[in-house]
Amino acid sequence: MRSDIRSSHRPRPRGFPALSALMALTLAVLLLAAAWPGAARADDAKAREIMQKVNNRDDGDNETADVKMVLIDNRGHRRERDLKTFRKDKGEDTYTIMFFLAPADVKGTGFLTYDYAAPGKDDDQWLYLPALRKSKRIASSDKSGSFMGSDFNYSDMTKPDLDDFDFTLVKEEDVEGHKTWQIQAVPRTDKVKDDIGYEKSMLWVRQDNYVVIRGIRWVYQSSRVKFMKVNKLERIDGIWIPTEMQMVTQEGQATTHATVLQFNNVRFNQKLSPQLFTVRELEKGL
Amino acid sequence: MATFKARIESGFAAFARTVYRHRIKTLLIVFVALAALVSQLRYITYDTSTESFFRKDDPALIEYNRFRELFGRDEFLIAAVNPPKVFDKAFLAKLRDFTHALQTQVPHLKDVTSLINVRDTRGEGDRLVVEDLVKDIPQTPQAMAALKQRVLSSHLYPNLFISEDGRFTTVLIETQAFSDEGAKADVSAGFGDISLAPGTGTPAVAAKRKPLTDKENSQIVRAVERVVAQYNGPDFPIHLTGSPVVTDFLKRAMQSNMARFMALAVLAIGVFLGVLFRRISGVALPLLVVVLSVVATVGAMATLGVAFKLPLMILPSFLLAVGVGAVVHLLAMFYRNYERGGDKRQALVDALAHSGLPIVMTSLTTAAGLLSFITATLASVADLGVYAALGVMISLVLTLVLVPALLALLPIRRHPRFSSQEGSPLADRFLMGLGNFATRRARLVVVVSVLVSALAMTGLPWLRFSHNTLKWFPKSSDIRQATDLIDHELKGSISVEMMIDTGHENGLYDPAVLNRIQALERYAEDYTNAQGQRFVGKTNSVVDVVKEINRALHENQEAYYTLPQDRDLIAQELLLFENSGSDDLQRLVDSQFRIARVTIKSPWDDAAAYVHYVSDLQAKGSELFGNSTQVSAHVTVTGLIRLFTESVFALMRSMVESYTAAIIVITILMILLIGRLRLGLLSMVPNLLPIGITLGFMGWMNIPLDAFTLLIGSIALGLAVDDTIHFFHHFLRYYEETGDAAYAVHETLLTSGRAMLFTTMVLVVGFWLFMFATLNNLFYFGLLTGLTLVVALAADMLLSPAILVLTARKAPATAAPPAPATIE
Repeated sequence: MRSDIRSSHRPRPRGFPALSALMALTLAVLLLAAAWPGAARADDAKAREIMQKVNNRDDGDNETADVKMVLIDNRGHRRERDLKTFRKDKGEDTYTIMFFLAPADVKGTGFLTYDYAAPGKDDDQWLYLPALRKSKRIASSDKSGSFMGSDFNYSDMTKPDLDDFDFTLVKEEDVEGHKTWQIQAVPRTDKVKDDIGYEKSMLWVRQDNYVVIRGIRWVYQSSRVKFMKVNKLERIDGIWIPTEMQMVTQEGQATTHATVLQFNNVRFNQKLSPQLFTVRELEKGL
Repeated sequence: MATFKARIESGFAAFARTVYRHRIKTLLIVFVALAALVSQLRYITYDTSTESFFRKDDPALIEYNRFRELFGRDEFLIAAVNPPKVFDKAFLAKLRDFTHALQTQVPHLKDVTSLINVRDTRGEGDRLVVEDLVKDIPQTPQAMAALKQRVLSSHLYPNLFISEDGRFTTVLIETQAFSDEGAKADVSAGFGDISLAPGTGTPAVAAKRKPLTDKENSQIVRAVERVVAQYNGPDFPIHLTGSPVVTDFLKRAMQSNMARFMALAVLAIGVFLGVLFRRISGVALPLLVVVLSVVATVGAMATLGVAFKLPLMILPSFLLAVGVGAVVHLLAMFYRNYERGGDKRQALVDALAHSGLPIVMTSLTTAAGLLSFITATLASVADLGVYAALGVMISLVLTLVLVPALLALLPIRRHPRFSSQEGSPLADRFLMGLGNFATRRARLVVVVSVLVSALAMTGLPWLRFSHNTLKWFPKSSDIRQATDLIDHELKGSISVEMMIDTGHENGLYDPAVLNRIQALERYAEDYTNAQGQRFVGKTNSVVDVVKEINRALHENQEAYYTLPQDRDLIAQELLLFENSGSDDLQRLVDSQFRIARVTIKSPWDDAAAYVHYVSDLQAKGSELFGNSTQVSAHVTVTGLIRLFTESVFALMRSMVESYTAAIIVITILMILLIGRLRLGLLSMVPNLLPIGITLGFMGWMNIPLDAFTLLIGSIALGLAVDDTIHFFHHFLRYYEETGDAAYAVHETLLTSGRAMLFTTMVLVVGFWLFMFATLNNLFYFGLLTGLTLVVALAADMLLSPAILVLTARKAPATAAPPAPATIE
């Protein structure tokens, strides 16, 4: 920082030279801090290491579950959707297929997704509408869109690419009797913000098992804020898995909408055939 | 009567002596009270929105709030750009930057949508694409031409994002519906538990929210204007409008106009007072009283958290003009006594004893006229009534307390010759002439009055109601030009909103429901105005989304831009859309798929012009979704335009209510004050004729009744009645003394006639100052109120004497003195 900050042009109040010098010094330090590349990006190694461990946590090579989605609007009205989901890892990539079981109007509607780990490679997604007896490929480039009409979006459902963010360890905090790290995640570019749909996030990571049990998400270019909370965390086949979580969307501190996701009959390490994750299976249905 | 009057006069005298004795204490109390109110001034808020016209429990407003809770704010800002060429690389790049700048720099934002990021749903081979329309700017002329072709032939974009001829493109700026005020940075707020047990509510979810405030609206408009200023230029000419901008413009115009009128009124009244009294105290004291009463009234509003709404714009200058009369009466009396050499204390006591009663009485009738607004359906008009009446009463208290205390304290110079009460010979001759004419040609005066009134009132059938805040701005103002331009090029800058509530979850999956919504949209679009022209720019609903998806799923074949007739397919297509990355559905249906929103974008016009449209839409909706049909649903017409039309109905109701209330209250007061039923009723003739004449004149001149001109009748009635009270009061006294009506008229004109002439002049000047306003509504309000007061003065000086002379001749017995004798 340039030193002439201290001898700024403004006439110094007479009688308090020490005080104004102190103020100038403080200003200089603040400016220095703001201009420092590392400080501005505010990425810290400890936080990154924690997030790396979150991402590396064992979540099984494959997983099946029955998902109940409860959507709640601002007047307390609820609607429910039931899905059956299958997931299988293929190398770094993840394949998912899910089918709607209820409500009856959409029963049999299916989504098949190939989520590629390679940066810059868009996901592939197909959908099948039984009423149309047709499957279609969906071109989806960003993950900011709602996941099945819920308060969760696609980026909430997938692992983040850590290189896209700056992480800061804010503090350690006890949450519901568990020690956590509170970590702030800020996307490095506007493009990332646009893609994931969030301006920044605050995450609470449990220190004993590296599960994110709470999160606040500030929606990009909006005044909405979303609050994620894990309501039930279970250990199934040695794997920590949230079996109930909620996402509450607020605007000006008033809740506008909320979603609860419940995962039942969660099974890991089933023998899922790669054939299951094909358009043909999608069209065949359950 | 005499003892009664004597008792009141001695009461006022005793009051004056008390104030004189405790002058320091009195001043302290008054100033502490005033300081308390003044300290609240900075909390004053403004509300120039259309909603502010309504009472909180108005059904139309309740429906509107329900709509906003479900779908967000229906009002939007619209920035139209007409570059040399819309489909041009450089222009689209700038449009992209402009859109982004708005997205990042405007507070309380919900969405900014332009051709760049508007949803584009299409089928490409076996692929379904839902993405931003211009993800990448076309680099070749062919690609650009293809884009242009696609945009102009689309069902969605024309009249919404592009004009039909492709010259104008728009950026729509949607904001939050609800206020952030009072929100604390409490991060744990959103982590409340949501109970999923059946039958339990979700307390975390339901919450009452305050609509976006006027202040927040202005922050939005300021921020948008800053961005517009950065990008505006010959290659990128921007026209900004939309109802939030109009609301903000109104607020600013109101503030600047109010400041200007305060200054003008103070100046004009000061000059008058200077001419009249030729004393510093004669100028300073009345001005002090009226300015303090304005300040105290506004302070009281701030203390009570009442926002300054549009009609309250007239409050400050109104109070200035109205309040000055009382002080002048008191001072005139005081100075006369003082000049005659009496000691100051006695001069003051006598002045209050003599003028105390008329001052209180005239203030009361003025307040009664204003309070007649209290029941008005229009909340803002009711507010004006309440606070103007409060202001008049504050001004009365200050006149009776502050002025005597200050007179007691201040050194008052004695003029060797003081002339004001003696009157100028010219004014006397004029008043004598009037009296002679009115009494000698009484019949002629009555006949001519009847003829003039009848002629003027033939204009009444043409009198119409209007609510169009945009018309209040001069034609040359930016906001009016931009709105007219956008309404012309894109057929609309505001909207009618409809809600179709099927009553059950997933009711909108029913093809029969969607078919009828489609029919309703067609009806709305094909509607023609009185000139037989279609005027609606665009309708938009979930129907359009379903058709769009259906076509995209069928390889973009236009033949499939239709509603599927299969419930499951509709459900699945909507599920697909929900999952496509676009959140546009949130603003078209509620989250239960129970209630659909139909938006009908329409041009800004007078509310009266939309009355039929709104009622026809409601009728058509009820016809399509009535109980007799197989798909019954509840149809509501709402949105800003519905509020406009409701405000016209509210105007009509308010007019009838407040005029009736004012006439009844004042008639009763007159009968009580005059003490005779027949004369009391007769005295209402010169009070009411001027209002009839003004209303007829408005009909002739095609000046509509709106939230401002509506006020004229009751205000003028409250003021004009003061003159009538003076006239009848004095007339009766002289008549009872002599039994000679003509003599009584002359004497009355020469005494209170002069005061009437003077106070009317001050009031008329006060109101005519409004003709310097930039806003048309203020211009008409000032012109017409002033005019009414002039006519009212003429009626009191010509018609009243004529009537009194005629009735006295016909029935000398009833007008004879016995009546007061019974009171004695």
